[in-house]
Amino acid sequence: MPMLKQLANLGRTPKVLILGSGGLSIGQAGEFDYSGTQAIKALIEEKIEVVVVNPNIATVQTNPTAGVKVYLYPVEVDWVEKVIAAERPDAIIAGFGGQTALNCLIKLDEQGILKKHKVINLGTPASVLRLTEDRDEFAQKMREISMPVPASFACEAYPSALTAANRIGYPVIVRAAFALGGLGSGFANNDEELKALVVPALASSPQVLVEKSLKGWKEVEYEVMRDSEGNTITICNMENFDPLGIHTGDSIVVCPSQSLSDDEYQILRNAAIKIVSSLGIVGECNVQYALDPHSLNFYIIEVNARLSRSSALASKASGYPIAYIAAKVVLGYDLLELKNPVTGITCAFFEPALDYITIKFPRWDLLKFQGVDRHLGSTMKSVGEVMAIGRSFPEALQKATRMVTEHPEGLSAQRFKGSDEQLREELNSPTDKRLFAVVEAFRRGWSLDHLRELSSIDLWFLSNLKTMMATEAEISKYGEGSEKLERVDMMILQTLGTVNAETWRRWKIQGFGDEQIAGLVLRGKGLGAGALCKASHGVRKLRLEHNVRPVVKKIDTTAGEYPSPSNYLYMTYGGTFSETLPEDNKVFSAVVLGGGSYRIGTSVEFDWCAVSCSRKLQESGWRSIIVNCNPETVSTDYNSSDRLYFEELSVERILDITDIERPVGIICSMGGQLPNRLAKPLSEAGLKLLGHRADSIDTAEDRARFSALLDKLEIGQPRWVAATGKDEIKRFIDDVGFPVLIRPSYVLSGAAMSVAYDDESLQFCLTTASDISPDHPVVISEFIVGAREIELDGVAKNGEILTAIVSEHIENAGVHSGDATLVVPAQRLYVETVRRVKRAGRAIAQGLNLNGPFNMQFLAKENEIKVIECNARAARSFPFVSKAVGLNLADVATDVMIGVKPNLSRFNEDELPYVGVKAAMFSFKRLGGADPVLGVEMASTGEVGCIGENVDQALLLAMEASGVFSPKKGVLVSSGSEKEKLRFLPAARTLVSLNIPLFGTPGTAKYLQEHGIPVTSLAWPEEDKFDVIKAVKEGLVDFVINIPKDTQRNELTRGSAVRQAAVKFGCSLLTNMEIVTAYVHALERCPDFLANHKVIPLPSFKA
Amino acid sequence: MRQKCKLVLSDGTSFSGELIGAPLRASGELVFTTGMVGYSEAITDPSYFGQILCFTYPLIGNYGIPDLPRGLDLPIPRGFESAKARAAAVILAIDSSEVFHWNSFQPLDEWLTSQGVPAIVGLDTRHLVHLIRSTPNLLARIEPEHPEGYRDMGAVFQPKNATSFFDPGNHNVLPEVSTDKKMIFGKGKIRVGLVDCGVKWNIIRQFLEYDCEVQLLPWDTRLSDVDCDLWLLSNGPGDPTRTGDLVQQVEGLLTQDRPILGICLGHQILSLAAGANTRRMAYGHRSHNQPVYEVGTRRGYITSQNHSYVVEDASLPSEWDAWFRNVNDQTIEGIKHKTKPFRSVQFHPEASGGPRDTSWIFEQLLAEVKK
Repeated sequence: MPMLKQLANLGRTPKVLILGSGGLSIGQAGEFDYSGTQAIKALIEEKIEVVVVNPNIATVQTNPTAGVKVYLYPVEVDWVEKVIAAERPDAIIAGFGGQTALNCLIKLDEQGILKKHKVINLGTPASVLRLTEDRDEFAQKMREISMPVPASFACEAYPSALTAANRIGYPVIVRAAFALGGLGSGFANNDEELKALVVPALASSPQVLVEKSLKGWKEVEYEVMRDSEGNTITICNMENFDPLGIHTGDSIVVCPSQSLSDDEYQILRNAAIKIVSSLGIVGECNVQYALDPHSLNFYIIEVNARLSRSSALASKASGYPIAYIAAKVVLGYDLLELKNPVTGITCAFFEPALDYITIKFPRWDLLKFQGVDRHLGSTMKSVGEVMAIGRSFPEALQKATRMVTEHPEGLSAQRFKGSDEQLREELNSPTDKRLFAVVEAFRRGWSLDHLRELSSIDLWFLSNLKTMMATEAEISKYGEGSEKLERVDMMILQTLGTVNAETWRRWKIQGFGDEQIAGLVLRGKGLGAGALCKASHGVRKLRLEHNVRPVVKKIDTTAGEYPSPSNYLYMTYGGTFSETLPEDNKVFSAVVLGGGSYRIGTSVEFDWCAVSCSRKLQESGWRSIIVNCNPETVSTDYNSSDRLYFEELSVERILDITDIERPVGIICSMGGQLPNRLAKPLSEAGLKLLGHRADSIDTAEDRARFSALLDKLEIGQPRWVAATGKDEIKRFIDDVGFPVLIRPSYVLSGAAMSVAYDDESLQFCLTTASDISPDHPVVISEFIVGAREIELDGVAKNGEILTAIVSEHIENAGVHSGDATLVVPAQRLYVETVRRVKRAGRAIAQGLNLNGPFNMQFLAKENEIKVIECNARAARSFPFVSKAVGLNLADVATDVMIGVKPNLSRFNEDELPYVGVKAAMFSFKRLGGADPVLGVEMASTGEVGCIGENVDQALLLAMEASGVFSPKKGVLVSSGSEKEKLRFLPAARTLVSLNIPLFGTPGTAKYLQEHGIPVTSLAWPEEDKFDVIKAVKEGLVDFVINIPKDTQRNELTRGSAVRQAAVKFGCSLLTNMEIVTAYVHALERCPDFLANHKVIPLPSFKA
Repeated sequence: MRQKCKLVLSDGTSFSGELIGAPLRASGELVFTTGMVGYSEAITDPSYFGQILCFTYPLIGNYGIPDLPRGLDLPIPRGFESAKARAAAVILAIDSSEVFHWNSFQPLDEWLTSQGVPAIVGLDTRHLVHLIRSTPNLLARIEPEHPEGYRDMGAVFQPKNATSFFDPGNHNVLPEVSTDKKMIFGKGKIRVGLVDCGVKWNIIRQFLEYDCEVQLLPWDTRLSDVDCDLWLLSNGPGDPTRTGDLVQQVEGLLTQDRPILGICLGHQILSLAAGANTRRMAYGHRSHNQPVYEVGTRRGYITSQNHSYVVEDASLPSEWDAWFRNVNDQTIEGIKHKTKPFRSVQFHPEASGGPRDTSWIFEQLLAEVKK
């Protein structure tokens, strides 16, 4: 049976609604752009009209292409119903939009909306989804089919806890219910230990949960696909490097499993199939297990009846296009009639055989969140991930470490520097630094068994790491006793000249990079990054003399059993023969560098740029070759390019690739800052850059050079100094006055920019900035208060701007542009300001001789503009600006880079149909301890963008899509300074006129009352009355406006406690007065917004 | 330091790697399996007799080797499919010299040495797969730098010189893999006559679980003399047409009404007895992910397979139907008699290693007996 009968028999083109997952947040990231995009492709092939509801404007799936209608609306029942009423789709698919989409579907089903509008739910029925969500119901169902689930009992007294523990069998884990931050939790191995835990826990908590302890058990997952005929396959399994206890999203994950025997593999596979079949799931499903490291015992931990982060990873790891096939399956195809598009000849009904190993490594950006608890546990904290492919575990792991740290020395670079005691502590209660601690322990000669005992990591993984560290020591030995010479290449020759081919090969198959090897032998010689990069070319030369080079291998899902035209490639030293590359008759080719791991600051928007660029290259008849290493992306989908290298974004690897591919040139300006940084060394290594010249990029990036250029062009900029000592800092501040912006130049993870408002905060900033010296200057710049921030996104050709769009921030300068709310076209700028911005933009483009995509940021105060920065690359705002105005800037830029004349004739900046607003999406809910407030450091994990007839509509939609819902019960206000209180008065009056009850902290309430505004005063927590925290917790208010005194994030204040409570208990939270004003204004101007708003689809691109 | 070792192919190509296992010369048909787990099961699977087995998964030996019993006693331990290593030699990319699995007794290297099996590591196994795929019936030799003799292949292959190649397809290899004497396992109600052509232990394990008495019969037993409730024709190595008079004996079974199930080689022998023909495939099916479908339905199964020969479609007599087919190449994966309880499958319902999705075939067979 092909397509579902109900759809096939309609007698017209069927229409299907796909729900997206909204803005990227921790736990729900780019993987859903990948799965949604594949699903759309699968539907389009069936000539189905597709309607997408997803406010994530930066995704590929929200491109308004042929056959796809995009609604940038919150994935909330009310809005989805409005789209359903407007579009009248025949069916809905929710399995590709993460938990957000599933939750929405469950509600649409419960509220009878699907029934009312006669919309069929394709895929797993809502009742099954509810079952998998409900812990008790799910456990019951598992017991019915004799599947083991870990026992758990809620106990209110010690005797019942004792009974529970003895029924479960020791060891048990005790968790205090309703306790903050895991307080009162622990493991008990006997009655005595249980008592010691339970009694004090019950003193402060009404209930404890006694559960089977699975500490140290292996965590294993299976990806399962089942069709409507009941045919069920497992795509692959995955084993966590980290034992149970660390969220799988925060674990290093290997695929396929490494330490499981056939028995273990098959028992878990059988169980997965049994579970999925008994639940009647149609489509994709993920099953997670705990497996005893000492027997065949196992427990089911979780079932996700939808595409997930794991399934995106499994897709990329196995080469099996899970989302695409799952979409066909929910349409009613069975697996037997579907071809595997990767091989083109085998069937979709089969299980991939891998002949390589993949390792996923999470990317944390915890330094960006001050105060956050860095320990890893059951709550996911990572913001992105990379995947590495190799033919050995060390090769893949070293690749992964370099990919995720973006440091060419990888595992050898980020050394854990603590004492033995700290090391023990780190191994025992892991943080994001765990792997670096493990390898450090081996460096210090700790034994395998000791590490196993401390970390519970499987000995197979540990022994591999031990071998790698032995090799690291062996390499380092070559550097011993060598002298420091003038030329680094001579030093390499001196130290490594005698290494033979066999040794080189052994090092390389263990994954040691050229620069890593250079770093190890030249360690302690005081060489900077530039010198090491030069030295790495020396290493490369030496090994190439021995003909030690990597080979290209294909990922084809069949381990080579059948010939495959697959274009999915990786490089390895675990082989001696490169494969024949897929053929085409294209003459020109370009390598497009992707953005690597998602992280704070680089996210799905850069993937959109890279994908747009690759598609445009293909449309122009070029062979597009993508290099990227992020499994959550669309750019690493096998059909986003002609050839995909799932590889490191490093100088070494890109040279390996270009040695084979011989492209016309390389595109570094589409994947964000990581490839942009590679432009200079790649150009120096002799590669041709398409687009901007390396010197243009360097001038834009280099603070001093760029500043000099601005001076020459007579364009204003905030005053700054690269201070090398405290006196210099003092002189500068005496000159410009507080506040000042402080950026330490030497920061490991790029964090810790801050603003100093006075001497005290200056001292604080400088102590966190570590050492200040001529080698490590601190950049201090003037911080202009109350200025507008303006962005100019565009494309230039040979120094002439072809097109550039002005957008403005709602927040005043001081909020990182990635966290700010962006409006296009700019609404409140003087004509003169816009003129000056454009004029300065033209001058800079000319001065830098820009030849490709760019983004410039300006400050404006009373028509006076100052330039903050210029990015000679595509920017975060590109997809938003492109979609809001209807001009694909990435396409225009690609044309320019390959020398094609872009067609801009259909686009007219003066005739924009809608206003677009982009809002940041935060993930503070998962980051316990972090203060949810906006500042100069970016903290958002994603963004949403909506369009409206006017800025008010677009703003309300964007705010709701980012989790700010209009107040209904009441608004709690706490605005730090006198000035902010004053600025809040008009908004307060508006809220009162809208009949929204106001509550205030004592000071704010008093101030408002004095100005005749009715407000209920709430006490601070320590005052022991009905306090603000309680009001938030118990739902007296559903909206919190809390304006911090200044944008210092690192002070633990009462305000911070209110903000954290708002996040924790699901209140909407605004912390910036400009956005409060704009938002309240919009509320007033759009009465009964939901009822009155007519949904509008995103218009298609004009070029 | 490990000894250097060469792999020499019958087409003249050769590759260098390192030796693990026994320092012996070995020769056989070069085959590959794409199963990612189950190496101890595969190496002890008698169907690999006379074959040099190349694992496409690059990391082999990660979970070690369990303690191998000397003979076939109850309960039959898991992890092995016969009492010794059967593959002529093994090829892999990387082995684990240290192992930690709870059920491991020794590392792969040590075990192979004790079993007298040479293995070569460090080869580009994916490249070998390409060669095997494009060269029909590729034979190979393993040549350690300092060989201490030849891999013992029993009476069937006693190499005269170091350069001869062994092709298991040219010999009747059943005497090397079948039991010498009849053995009886279990005391169950249903008596299973299991013709041992190189049976995998998991077939015995499974029927014991179903409360059967399993009579393990040497391959050349006079079957007409055996009293049992159902017949199992086991898997095994080699060409089904070089199996003495086994095909004629099975023809005799077709005249009676007791259920018959053939597995792998047993399927080929049953097909020959039914009047069909078999042929050698270009490079066989050896993996844990072979998709088959039940003819006339939309049901598919992922199966474990290991065979070089296949039943020719056109030759199937009219009283027989194709029961299963391979989803990828449409070859026959099972046959069944239109009226009598005779059937056979090319794949391994007993799995081990590999997926266990088709164990229902055994249950179905036993249901026939109970009727």
